[in-house]
Amino acid sequence: MKFFNAFRKKSPWILHYNAGSCNGCDIEILAALGPRYDLERFGVINTGNPKQSDIFLVTGPVTYRSRERLVELYCQIPEPKVVIAVGSCTAAGGVFRGMYNVEDGIDRYIPVDVYVPGCASSPQLIIDAVVESLQILERKSKAIETPFKLFGAVETVAGKLSRLGMAKKVTDAED
Amino acid sequence: MKKTVQIPLGSQHISLLEPIRFKFECENETIVGVDADVGFVHRGVEQACTTKFDFKQVGFVVARVCGLCAITHSLSYTLAAEKLLDFTPNDRIRYLRMLMVELDRIHSHMLCLAHTAENAGFEALFMQIMGDRELVMDIQEAISGNRIQFDFIAIGGVTRDLTPEMVTLLHKNLDELSGKIADLIELFESNWSLSLKYRGIGALSLEEAQIYNALGPLARAAGLATDVRVETDDFPYEALGYEMMLETGGDIHARNRVRLREIMNSIAMCRNIVGNLPAGEIMEKAKGKPKGEVIVRLEAPRGELFYLVRGGGQNMLERVRIKTPTFSGIPAMMEVFKGSRYADAPAILASFDPCMSCTAK
Ligand code: SF4
Repeated sequence: MKFFNAFRKKSPWILHYNAGSCNGCDIEILAALGPRYDLERFGVINTGNPKQSDIFLVTGPVTYRSRERLVELYCQIPEPKVVIAVGSCTAAGGVFRGMYNVEDGIDRYIPVDVYVPGCASSPQLIIDAVVESLQILERKSKAIETPFKLFGAVETVAGKLSRLGMAKKVTDAED
Repeated sequence: MKKTVQIPLGSQHISLLEPIRFKFECENETIVGVDADVGFVHRGVEQACTTKFDFKQVGFVVARVCGLCAITHSLSYTLAAEKLLDFTPNDRIRYLRMLMVELDRIHSHMLCLAHTAENAGFEALFMQIMGDRELVMDIQEAISGNRIQFDFIAIGGVTRDLTPEMVTLLHKNLDELSGKIADLIELFESNWSLSLKYRGIGALSLEEAQIYNALGPLARAAGLATDVRVETDDFPYEALGYEMMLETGGDIHARNRVRLREIMNSIAMCRNIVGNLPAGEIMEKAKGKPKGEVIVRLEAPRGELFYLVRGGGQNMLERVRIKTPTFSGIPAMMEVFKGSRYADAPAILASFDPCMSCTAK
Protein backbone atom coordinates (compact mmCIF):
# COMPACT_ATOMS: atom_id res chain seq x y z
CA MET A 1 0.00 0.00 0.00
CA LYS A 2 2.86 2.31 0.85
CA PHE A 3 4.08 1.86 -2.67
CA PHE A 4 0.86 3.25 -4.15
CA ASN A 5 0.65 6.04 -1.63
CA ALA A 6 3.96 7.37 -2.85
CA PHE A 7 2.54 7.76 -6.33
CA ARG A 8 -0.64 9.27 -5.04
CA LYS A 9 1.25 11.91 -3.18
CA LYS A 10 3.27 12.81 -6.22
CA SER A 11 0.54 12.87 -8.83
CA PRO A 12 -3.00 13.13 -7.61
CA TRP A 13 -5.58 13.09 -10.36
CA ILE A 14 -8.71 15.11 -10.06
CA LEU A 15 -12.28 14.52 -11.08
CA HIS A 16 -14.34 17.63 -11.55
CA TYR A 17 -18.07 17.57 -11.16
CA ASN A 18 -20.52 20.41 -11.53
CA ALA A 19 -23.39 19.68 -9.18
CA GLY A 20 -25.38 22.74 -10.18
CA SER A 21 -23.04 25.69 -10.09
CA CYS A 22 -23.24 28.89 -12.08
CA ASN A 23 -20.02 27.95 -13.96
CA GLY A 24 -18.12 30.70 -12.20
CA CYS A 25 -16.10 28.30 -10.11
CA ASP A 26 -15.75 25.84 -12.98
CA ILE A 27 -14.04 28.37 -15.19
CA GLU A 28 -11.76 29.26 -12.32
CA ILE A 29 -10.79 25.60 -12.06
CA LEU A 30 -10.08 25.71 -15.78
CA ALA A 31 -8.02 28.84 -15.26
CA ALA A 32 -6.13 27.09 -12.46
CA LEU A 33 -5.24 24.34 -14.92
CA GLY A 34 -4.19 26.95 -17.45
CA PRO A 35 -0.68 28.28 -17.91
CA ARG A 36 -0.74 31.23 -15.49
CA TYR A 37 -1.47 29.13 -12.40
CA ASP A 38 -0.64 25.72 -13.82
CA LEU A 39 -1.94 23.23 -11.33
CA GLU A 40 -0.57 20.52 -13.57
CA ARG A 41 2.95 21.14 -12.38
CA PHE A 42 2.02 19.26 -9.21
CA GLY A 43 1.29 16.24 -11.35
CA VAL A 44 -2.41 16.97 -11.22
CA ILE A 45 -4.37 15.85 -14.25
CA ASN A 46 -8.02 16.46 -14.87
CA THR A 47 -9.39 13.03 -15.62
CA GLY A 48 -12.83 12.08 -16.74
CA ASN A 49 -12.74 8.73 -15.07
CA PRO A 50 -13.65 8.38 -11.39
CA LYS A 51 -11.75 5.12 -11.12
CA GLN A 52 -8.45 6.88 -11.76
CA SER A 53 -9.06 9.85 -9.51
CA ASP A 54 -7.90 10.73 -6.02
CA ILE A 55 -9.31 14.21 -5.62
CA PHE A 56 -12.95 15.01 -6.17
CA LEU A 57 -13.47 18.69 -7.02
CA VAL A 58 -17.11 19.61 -6.70
CA THR A 59 -18.69 22.95 -7.54
CA GLY A 60 -22.18 24.22 -6.97
CA PRO A 61 -25.02 23.41 -4.61
CA VAL A 62 -26.53 19.97 -4.97
CA THR A 63 -29.56 20.09 -7.21
CA TYR A 64 -32.30 17.54 -7.18
CA ARG A 65 -31.12 15.80 -10.30
CA SER A 66 -27.38 15.94 -9.74
CA ARG A 67 -27.34 14.33 -6.29
CA GLU A 68 -27.50 10.76 -7.57
CA ARG A 69 -24.59 11.40 -9.92
CA LEU A 70 -22.68 13.07 -7.12
CA VAL A 71 -22.99 10.09 -4.79
CA GLU A 72 -22.39 7.66 -7.63
CA LEU A 73 -19.19 9.39 -8.67
CA TYR A 74 -18.06 9.60 -5.07
CA CYS A 75 -18.57 5.89 -4.60
CA GLN A 76 -16.68 5.06 -7.74
CA ILE A 77 -13.52 6.86 -6.68
CA PRO A 78 -11.23 4.38 -4.94
CA GLU A 79 -10.11 4.93 -1.33
CA PRO A 80 -8.33 6.92 -0.07
CA LYS A 81 -9.79 10.02 -1.64
CA VAL A 82 -10.23 13.67 -0.81
CA VAL A 83 -13.24 15.81 -1.53
CA ILE A 84 -12.75 19.52 -2.16
CA ALA A 85 -15.79 21.78 -2.12
CA VAL A 86 -15.06 24.73 -4.39
CA GLY A 87 -17.02 27.91 -3.85
CA SER A 88 -19.39 29.17 -1.25
CA CYS A 89 -22.42 27.48 -2.75
CA THR A 90 -20.79 24.09 -2.37
CA ALA A 91 -20.21 24.82 1.29
CA ALA A 92 -23.61 26.08 2.32
CA GLY A 93 -25.68 26.85 -0.72
CA GLY A 94 -24.36 30.37 -1.16
CA VAL A 95 -26.83 32.57 -2.92
CA PHE A 96 -28.89 29.54 -3.86
CA ARG A 97 -29.48 28.55 -0.26
CA GLY A 98 -33.05 27.48 0.28
CA MET A 99 -34.17 27.58 -3.34
CA TYR A 100 -36.67 24.87 -4.07
CA ASN A 101 -34.54 22.63 -6.22
CA VAL A 102 -31.34 22.97 -4.21
CA GLU A 103 -30.11 21.09 -1.17
CA ASP A 104 -27.53 23.55 0.06
CA GLY A 105 -24.02 22.23 0.61
CA ILE A 106 -22.66 19.01 -0.78
CA ASP A 107 -21.79 17.83 2.73
CA ARG A 108 -25.40 16.77 3.04
CA TYR A 109 -24.43 13.89 0.83
CA ILE A 110 -20.74 13.20 0.97
CA PRO A 111 -18.00 13.99 3.49
CA VAL A 112 -15.95 17.03 2.55
CA ASP A 113 -12.29 17.49 3.49
CA VAL A 114 -11.45 20.95 2.25
CA TYR A 115 -13.78 23.90 1.79
CA VAL A 116 -12.68 26.64 -0.59
CA PRO A 117 -14.34 29.99 0.14
CA GLY A 118 -15.26 32.66 -2.35
CA CYS A 119 -17.81 33.39 -4.98
CA ALA A 120 -16.14 32.74 -7.31
CA SER A 121 -13.14 31.23 -5.52
CA SER A 122 -9.94 32.33 -7.16
CA PRO A 123 -7.42 29.97 -8.77
CA GLN A 124 -4.93 30.76 -6.02
CA LEU A 125 -7.35 29.42 -3.42
CA ILE A 126 -8.07 26.35 -5.50
CA ILE A 127 -4.35 25.60 -5.71
CA ASP A 128 -4.03 26.06 -1.96
CA ALA A 129 -6.85 23.61 -1.46
CA VAL A 130 -5.26 21.01 -3.71
CA VAL A 131 -1.92 21.35 -1.94
CA GLU A 132 -3.70 21.04 1.39
CA SER A 133 -5.56 18.01 0.19
CA LEU A 134 -2.30 16.30 -0.68
CA GLN A 135 -1.41 16.28 3.00
CA ILE A 136 -4.83 14.98 3.94
CA LEU A 137 -4.51 12.27 1.34
CA GLU A 138 -1.26 11.24 2.93
CA ARG A 139 -2.77 11.06 6.40
CA LYS A 140 -5.93 9.29 5.43
CA SER A 141 -5.89 5.65 6.31
CA LYS A 142 -7.74 2.97 4.51
CA ALA A 143 -10.83 3.76 6.56
CA ILE A 144 -13.75 4.03 4.24
CA GLU A 145 -16.09 6.94 4.56
CA THR A 146 -19.53 6.22 3.27
CA PRO A 147 -22.03 8.75 1.94
CA PHE A 148 -24.28 10.02 4.71
CA LYS A 149 -27.57 10.34 3.09
CA LEU A 150 -28.43 8.33 0.08
CA PHE A 151 -31.41 9.58 -1.87
CA GLY A 152 -33.39 10.84 1.07
CA ALA A 153 -33.29 7.66 3.13
CA VAL A 154 -32.35 9.53 6.31
CA GLU A 155 -34.64 12.14 7.80
CA THR A 156 -33.80 15.73 7.19
CA VAL A 157 -33.10 16.50 10.83
CA ALA A 158 -30.81 13.54 11.24
CA GLY A 159 -29.34 13.97 7.80
CA LYS A 160 -28.46 17.59 8.35
CA LEU A 161 -24.89 17.75 9.54
CA SER A 162 -23.58 20.89 11.07
CA ARG A 163 -20.37 22.31 9.75
CA LEU A 164 -18.84 21.85 13.17
CA GLY A 165 -19.64 18.16 13.09
CA MET A 166 -18.04 17.89 9.70
CA ALA A 167 -14.83 19.50 10.83
CA LYS A 168 -14.61 17.03 13.68
CA LYS A 169 -15.16 14.18 11.35
CA VAL A 170 -12.18 15.16 9.25
CA THR A 171 -9.88 15.42 12.22
CA ASP A 172 -11.10 12.06 13.50
CA ALA A 173 -10.21 10.53 10.20
CA GLU A 174 -6.81 12.06 10.40
CA ASP A 175 -5.63 10.51 13.63
CA MET B 1 -30.76 -5.84 -36.83
CA LYS B 2 -31.09 -2.22 -35.93
CA LYS B 3 -29.26 0.15 -38.19
CA THR B 4 -28.50 2.81 -35.62
CA VAL B 5 -26.57 2.89 -32.35
CA GLN B 6 -27.35 5.12 -29.41
CA ILE B 7 -24.32 6.84 -27.90
CA PRO B 8 -24.75 8.88 -24.74
CA LEU B 9 -22.46 11.81 -23.87
CA GLY B 10 -22.63 13.24 -20.36
CA SER B 11 -23.88 14.19 -17.84
CA GLN B 12 -20.42 14.07 -16.36
CA HIS B 13 -17.92 14.29 -19.17
CA ILE B 14 -14.39 15.54 -19.29
CA SER B 15 -14.91 17.69 -22.35
CA LEU B 16 -17.82 19.54 -20.84
CA LEU B 17 -17.75 21.94 -17.98
CA GLU B 18 -21.39 21.50 -17.34
CA PRO B 19 -23.78 18.67 -16.87
CA ILE B 20 -25.79 18.06 -19.98
CA ARG B 21 -26.63 14.72 -21.49
CA PHE B 22 -26.78 14.14 -25.19
CA LYS B 23 -28.08 11.00 -26.74
CA PHE B 24 -26.68 10.66 -30.21
CA GLU B 25 -28.23 8.25 -32.63
CA CYS B 26 -25.45 7.14 -34.90
CA GLU B 27 -25.38 5.28 -38.15
CA ASN B 28 -21.80 4.06 -38.45
CA GLU B 29 -19.85 7.23 -37.68
CA THR B 30 -22.55 9.69 -38.66
CA ILE B 31 -24.96 11.25 -36.23
CA VAL B 32 -28.53 11.02 -37.48
CA GLY B 33 -30.47 12.08 -34.42
CA VAL B 34 -29.85 13.96 -31.19
CA ASP B 35 -31.67 14.20 -27.94
CA ALA B 36 -30.53 16.64 -25.28
CA ASP B 37 -31.31 16.74 -21.59
CA VAL B 38 -30.38 19.99 -19.90
CA GLY B 39 -32.18 20.02 -16.59
CA PHE B 40 -29.36 18.90 -14.30
CA VAL B 41 -28.53 22.29 -12.89
CA HIS B 42 -31.99 23.70 -12.40
CA ARG B 43 -31.94 25.68 -9.17
CA GLY B 44 -35.12 27.71 -9.21
CA VAL B 45 -33.68 31.19 -9.57
CA GLU B 46 -36.79 32.71 -11.13
CA GLN B 47 -39.00 31.72 -8.26
CA ALA B 48 -36.47 32.78 -5.67
CA CYS B 49 -36.35 36.24 -7.27
CA THR B 50 -40.01 36.74 -6.56
CA THR B 51 -40.30 35.03 -3.19
CA LYS B 52 -37.01 35.28 -1.32
CA PHE B 53 -35.26 38.46 -2.33
CA ASP B 54 -35.99 42.15 -2.24
CA PHE B 55 -35.97 43.82 -5.67
CA LYS B 56 -32.72 45.58 -4.81
CA GLN B 57 -30.98 42.25 -4.21
CA VAL B 58 -32.28 40.47 -7.27
CA GLY B 59 -29.58 41.97 -9.49
CA PHE B 60 -26.93 40.09 -7.52
CA VAL B 61 -28.95 36.89 -7.53
CA VAL B 62 -29.53 36.78 -11.28
CA ALA B 63 -25.83 37.35 -11.80
CA ARG B 64 -25.41 33.86 -10.35
CA VAL B 65 -27.51 32.37 -13.10
CA CYS B 66 -24.33 32.13 -15.11
CA GLY B 67 -20.71 32.78 -14.32
CA LEU B 68 -19.69 33.79 -17.82
CA CYS B 69 -22.35 36.32 -18.75
CA ALA B 70 -23.01 37.32 -15.15
CA ILE B 71 -22.55 40.97 -15.90
CA THR B 72 -25.05 40.92 -18.76
CA HIS B 73 -27.59 39.24 -16.52
CA SER B 74 -27.26 41.76 -13.75
CA LEU B 75 -27.23 44.61 -16.26
CA SER B 76 -30.42 43.39 -17.94
CA TYR B 77 -32.19 43.12 -14.63
CA THR B 78 -30.89 46.48 -13.44
CA LEU B 79 -32.01 48.19 -16.64
CA ALA B 80 -35.43 46.63 -16.28
CA ALA B 81 -35.75 47.71 -12.66
CA GLU B 82 -34.54 51.21 -13.46
CA LYS B 83 -37.10 51.51 -16.23
CA LEU B 84 -39.80 50.53 -13.77
CA LEU B 85 -38.51 53.14 -11.33
CA ASP B 86 -38.43 55.78 -14.08
CA PHE B 87 -34.78 56.38 -13.48
CA THR B 88 -32.24 57.20 -16.17
CA PRO B 89 -28.58 56.85 -15.23
CA ASN B 90 -26.10 59.46 -16.36
CA ASP B 91 -23.65 58.90 -19.19
CA ARG B 92 -20.69 57.99 -17.03
CA ILE B 93 -22.61 55.12 -15.48
CA ARG B 94 -23.76 53.93 -18.89
CA TYR B 95 -20.24 54.02 -20.26
CA LEU B 96 -18.77 52.17 -17.30
CA ARG B 97 -21.43 49.48 -17.59
CA MET B 98 -20.73 49.09 -21.26
CA LEU B 99 -17.02 48.81 -20.59
CA MET B 100 -17.51 45.87 -18.25
CA VAL B 101 -19.90 44.12 -20.62
CA GLU B 102 -17.42 44.38 -23.46
CA LEU B 103 -14.55 43.13 -21.28
CA ASP B 104 -16.76 40.24 -20.28
CA ARG B 105 -17.46 39.47 -23.93
CA ILE B 106 -13.73 39.31 -24.63
CA HIS B 107 -13.02 36.83 -21.86
CA SER B 108 -16.06 34.72 -22.65
CA HIS B 109 -15.19 34.46 -26.33
CA MET B 110 -11.61 33.56 -25.49
CA LEU B 111 -12.72 30.83 -23.15
CA CYS B 112 -14.91 29.43 -25.89
CA LEU B 113 -12.07 29.50 -28.41
CA ALA B 114 -9.79 27.75 -25.94
CA HIS B 115 -12.38 25.17 -25.14
CA THR B 116 -13.08 24.43 -28.78
CA ALA B 117 -9.37 23.99 -29.39
CA GLU B 118 -9.08 21.59 -26.48
CA ASN B 119 -12.05 19.52 -27.56
CA ALA B 120 -10.71 19.31 -31.09
CA GLY B 121 -7.45 17.96 -29.68
CA PHE B 122 -5.20 21.03 -29.68
CA GLU B 123 -4.02 21.10 -26.09
CA ALA B 124 -1.21 23.57 -26.65
CA LEU B 125 -3.53 26.05 -28.34
CA PHE B 126 -5.87 25.74 -25.37
CA MET B 127 -3.03 26.64 -23.05
CA GLN B 128 -1.97 29.54 -25.23
CA ILE B 129 -5.42 31.09 -25.39
CA MET B 130 -6.03 30.54 -21.68
CA GLY B 131 -2.74 32.28 -20.99
CA ASP B 132 -3.69 35.26 -23.14
CA ARG B 133 -7.10 35.39 -21.49
CA GLU B 134 -5.45 36.24 -18.19
CA LEU B 135 -4.71 39.68 -19.61
CA VAL B 136 -8.42 40.47 -19.64
CA MET B 137 -8.98 38.83 -16.29
CA ASP B 138 -6.36 41.16 -14.82
CA ILE B 139 -8.22 44.20 -16.08
CA GLN B 140 -11.49 42.90 -14.73
CA GLU B 141 -9.93 42.16 -11.38
CA ALA B 142 -8.40 45.60 -11.19
CA ILE B 143 -11.64 47.36 -12.05
CA SER B 144 -14.14 45.34 -10.10
CA GLY B 145 -12.13 43.50 -7.46
CA ASN B 146 -13.03 40.01 -8.56
CA ARG B 147 -12.13 37.85 -11.52
CA ILE B 148 -15.55 36.39 -12.05
CA GLN B 149 -18.88 37.41 -10.55
CA PHE B 150 -17.93 41.03 -10.17
CA ASP B 151 -20.96 42.55 -8.52
CA PHE B 152 -20.22 45.76 -10.34
CA ILE B 153 -23.67 46.89 -11.36
CA ALA B 154 -26.31 47.92 -8.86
CA ILE B 155 -29.58 49.78 -9.21
CA GLY B 156 -28.66 53.43 -9.55
CA GLY B 157 -25.16 53.06 -10.90
CA VAL B 158 -21.97 51.09 -10.57
CA THR B 159 -20.11 50.23 -7.39
CA ARG B 160 -16.57 51.25 -8.27
CA ASP B 161 -14.98 54.07 -10.17
CA LEU B 162 -12.21 53.92 -12.73
CA THR B 163 -8.85 55.23 -11.52
CA PRO B 164 -5.94 56.38 -13.72
CA GLU B 165 -3.94 53.26 -12.77
CA MET B 166 -6.73 51.04 -14.04
CA VAL B 167 -6.83 52.96 -17.31
CA THR B 168 -3.07 52.51 -17.75
CA LEU B 169 -3.36 48.79 -17.07
CA LEU B 170 -6.31 48.52 -19.43
CA HIS B 171 -4.45 50.15 -22.29
CA LYS B 172 -1.31 48.13 -21.68
CA ASN B 173 -3.08 44.79 -21.52
CA LEU B 174 -5.42 45.48 -24.41
CA ASP B 175 -2.50 46.48 -26.59
CA GLU B 176 -0.76 43.23 -25.80
CA LEU B 177 -3.97 41.29 -26.32
CA SER B 178 -4.78 42.76 -29.70
CA GLY B 179 -1.36 41.66 -30.96
CA LYS B 180 -2.03 38.14 -29.71
CA ILE B 181 -5.47 38.03 -31.25
CA ALA B 182 -4.04 39.15 -34.58
CA ASP B 183 -1.60 36.24 -34.36
CA LEU B 184 -4.45 33.89 -33.59
CA ILE B 185 -6.45 35.09 -36.59
CA GLU B 186 -3.39 34.45 -38.73
CA LEU B 187 -3.02 30.97 -37.20
CA PHE B 188 -6.65 30.04 -37.74
CA GLU B 189 -6.44 31.18 -41.36
CA SER B 190 -3.27 29.42 -42.33
CA ASN B 191 -2.75 26.35 -40.19
CA TRP B 192 -3.50 23.23 -42.10
CA SER B 193 -4.14 20.82 -39.24
CA LEU B 194 -6.49 23.29 -37.59
CA SER B 195 -8.42 23.58 -40.82
CA LEU B 196 -8.94 19.81 -40.87
CA LYS B 197 -10.80 19.98 -37.58
CA TYR B 198 -12.57 23.28 -38.15
CA ARG B 199 -13.34 23.95 -41.78
CA GLY B 200 -16.59 22.55 -43.08
CA ILE B 201 -17.38 20.85 -39.78
CA GLY B 202 -20.71 21.42 -38.10
CA ALA B 203 -22.08 23.78 -40.71
CA LEU B 204 -25.33 25.68 -40.34
CA SER B 205 -26.74 27.24 -43.50
CA LEU B 206 -28.43 30.61 -43.66
CA GLU B 207 -31.88 29.09 -44.23
CA GLU B 208 -31.46 26.77 -41.27
CA ALA B 209 -30.31 29.64 -39.14
CA GLN B 210 -33.44 31.57 -40.07
CA ILE B 211 -35.80 28.64 -39.60
CA TYR B 212 -34.36 27.54 -36.27
CA ASN B 213 -33.95 31.01 -34.86
CA ALA B 214 -30.20 30.90 -34.32
CA LEU B 215 -28.69 33.83 -32.49
CA GLY B 216 -25.42 35.33 -31.40
CA PRO B 217 -22.17 34.22 -33.00
CA LEU B 218 -23.87 31.07 -34.26
CA ALA B 219 -26.22 33.14 -36.42
CA ARG B 220 -23.64 35.70 -37.48
CA ALA B 221 -21.31 32.92 -38.62
CA ALA B 222 -24.09 31.68 -40.90
CA GLY B 223 -24.61 35.14 -42.38
CA LEU B 224 -27.72 36.09 -40.42
CA ALA B 225 -27.38 39.73 -39.43
CA THR B 226 -28.76 39.76 -35.93
CA ASP B 227 -27.29 41.55 -32.95
CA VAL B 228 -29.25 43.13 -30.14
CA ARG B 229 -26.59 45.78 -29.78
CA VAL B 230 -27.79 47.49 -32.96
CA GLU B 231 -31.45 46.66 -32.50
CA THR B 232 -31.95 48.50 -29.23
CA ASP B 233 -30.86 51.95 -28.15
CA ASP B 234 -30.14 51.42 -24.47
CA PHE B 235 -26.45 51.99 -25.11
CA PRO B 236 -24.66 54.12 -27.71
CA TYR B 237 -22.90 51.21 -29.36
CA GLU B 238 -22.75 52.64 -32.84
CA ALA B 239 -21.26 55.90 -31.68
CA LEU B 240 -18.44 53.92 -30.06
CA GLY B 241 -17.38 52.00 -33.12
CA TYR B 242 -19.52 48.91 -33.18
CA GLU B 243 -19.28 46.82 -36.32
CA MET B 244 -21.22 43.71 -37.10
CA MET B 245 -19.03 40.72 -37.90
CA LEU B 246 -20.62 38.51 -40.50
CA GLU B 247 -19.31 35.30 -42.01
CA THR B 248 -20.95 32.99 -44.47
CA GLY B 249 -19.51 29.54 -43.79
CA GLY B 250 -21.57 28.64 -40.75
CA ASP B 251 -18.99 26.02 -39.72
CA ILE B 252 -16.69 25.94 -36.69
CA HIS B 253 -14.10 27.96 -38.55
CA ALA B 254 -16.61 30.70 -39.29
CA ARG B 255 -17.77 30.78 -35.69
CA ASN B 256 -14.20 31.07 -34.50
CA ARG B 257 -13.58 33.88 -36.95
CA VAL B 258 -16.68 35.74 -35.82
CA ARG B 259 -15.53 35.45 -32.22
CA LEU B 260 -11.99 36.56 -32.96
CA ARG B 261 -13.13 39.59 -34.95
CA GLU B 262 -15.66 40.50 -32.28
CA ILE B 263 -12.87 40.43 -29.73
CA MET B 264 -10.95 42.90 -31.88
CA ASN B 265 -14.06 45.07 -32.16
CA SER B 266 -14.67 44.92 -28.41
CA ILE B 267 -11.08 45.92 -27.73
CA ALA B 268 -11.53 48.95 -29.96
CA MET B 269 -14.79 49.81 -28.23
CA CYS B 270 -13.22 49.51 -24.78
CA ARG B 271 -10.51 51.94 -25.83
CA ASN B 272 -13.14 54.34 -27.16
CA ILE B 273 -15.18 54.11 -23.98
CA VAL B 274 -12.21 54.81 -21.75
CA GLY B 275 -11.07 57.61 -24.04
CA ASN B 276 -14.44 59.36 -24.10
CA LEU B 277 -15.55 58.72 -20.54
CA PRO B 278 -17.91 61.53 -19.47
CA ALA B 279 -17.65 63.06 -16.02
CA GLY B 280 -20.29 62.50 -13.36
CA GLU B 281 -21.36 60.54 -10.32
CA ILE B 282 -21.01 56.78 -10.39
CA MET B 283 -23.98 56.14 -8.11
CA GLU B 284 -27.26 58.00 -8.08
CA LYS B 285 -30.36 57.61 -6.00
CA ALA B 286 -33.16 55.64 -7.59
CA LYS B 287 -36.26 56.13 -5.47
CA GLY B 288 -39.51 54.23 -5.34
CA LYS B 289 -40.80 50.73 -5.82
CA PRO B 290 -41.01 49.01 -9.21
CA LYS B 291 -44.47 49.10 -10.70
CA GLY B 292 -45.51 47.86 -14.11
CA GLU B 293 -44.03 45.49 -16.63
CA VAL B 294 -41.01 45.88 -18.82
CA ILE B 295 -38.99 43.84 -21.29
CA VAL B 296 -35.25 44.27 -21.72
CA ARG B 297 -33.09 42.67 -24.37
CA LEU B 298 -29.32 42.73 -24.33
CA GLU B 299 -26.62 40.97 -26.29
CA ALA B 300 -24.80 38.48 -24.07
CA PRO B 301 -21.62 36.91 -25.49
CA ARG B 302 -23.75 34.00 -26.74
CA GLY B 303 -26.68 35.90 -28.16
CA GLU B 304 -29.83 37.63 -27.13
CA LEU B 305 -30.70 37.71 -23.45
CA PHE B 306 -34.30 38.48 -22.67
CA TYR B 307 -35.72 39.71 -19.38
CA LEU B 308 -39.28 40.36 -18.41
CA VAL B 309 -39.78 42.01 -15.03
CA ARG B 310 -43.11 42.79 -13.49
CA GLY B 311 -43.59 44.61 -10.20
CA GLY B 312 -46.65 45.63 -8.27
CA GLY B 313 -45.32 48.54 -6.28
CA GLN B 314 -44.01 46.28 -3.54
CA ASN B 315 -40.59 45.28 -2.34
CA MET B 316 -40.98 41.85 -3.90
CA LEU B 317 -41.34 41.56 -7.62
CA GLU B 318 -44.27 39.73 -9.13
CA ARG B 319 -42.52 38.02 -11.99
CA VAL B 320 -39.02 37.68 -13.36
CA ARG B 321 -38.76 35.77 -16.59
CA ILE B 322 -35.35 35.02 -18.04
CA LYS B 323 -34.85 33.64 -21.51
CA THR B 324 -31.25 32.86 -22.15
CA PRO B 325 -29.31 32.59 -25.41
CA THR B 326 -28.58 28.87 -25.23
CA PHE B 327 -32.20 28.02 -24.60
CA SER B 328 -33.31 29.75 -27.77
CA GLY B 329 -30.38 28.35 -29.68
CA ILE B 330 -30.93 24.66 -28.88
CA PRO B 331 -33.03 23.85 -32.02
CA ALA B 332 -30.29 25.27 -34.24
CA MET B 333 -27.66 23.34 -32.29
CA MET B 334 -29.55 20.10 -32.76
CA GLU B 335 -29.74 20.75 -36.48
CA VAL B 336 -26.00 21.20 -36.75
CA PHE B 337 -25.26 17.85 -35.15
CA LYS B 338 -27.24 15.90 -37.72
CA GLY B 339 -24.96 14.66 -40.44
CA SER B 340 -21.73 15.31 -38.59
CA ARG B 341 -19.34 12.61 -37.51
CA TYR B 342 -19.50 11.49 -33.91
CA ALA B 343 -15.79 12.17 -33.44
CA ASP B 344 -16.42 15.84 -34.15
CA ALA B 345 -19.24 16.14 -31.64
CA PRO B 346 -17.21 17.54 -28.69
CA ALA B 347 -15.60 20.24 -30.84
CA ILE B 348 -18.91 21.22 -32.43
CA LEU B 349 -20.51 21.34 -29.04
CA ALA B 350 -17.82 23.59 -27.61
CA SER B 351 -18.01 25.89 -30.61
CA PHE B 352 -21.61 26.77 -29.75
CA ASP B 353 -20.43 27.80 -26.34
CA PRO B 354 -23.52 26.39 -24.67
CA CYS B 355 -24.32 27.51 -21.17
CA MET B 356 -26.36 25.03 -19.25
CA SER B 357 -26.40 27.00 -16.06
CA CYS B 358 -28.23 29.74 -17.93
CA THR B 359 -30.57 27.38 -19.66
CA ALA B 360 -31.66 25.45 -16.63
CA LYS B 361 -31.45 28.36 -14.18
S1 SF4 C 1 -19.69 30.01 -5.47
FE1 SF4 C 1 -20.48 31.70 -6.71
S2 SF4 C 1 -19.25 31.63 -8.57
FE2 SF4 C 1 -19.00 29.66 -7.56
S3 SF4 C 1 -20.52 28.34 -8.49
FE3 SF4 C 1 -21.42 29.23 -6.63
S4 SF4 C 1 -22.51 31.05 -7.33
FE4 SF4 C 1 -21.11 30.45 -8.95
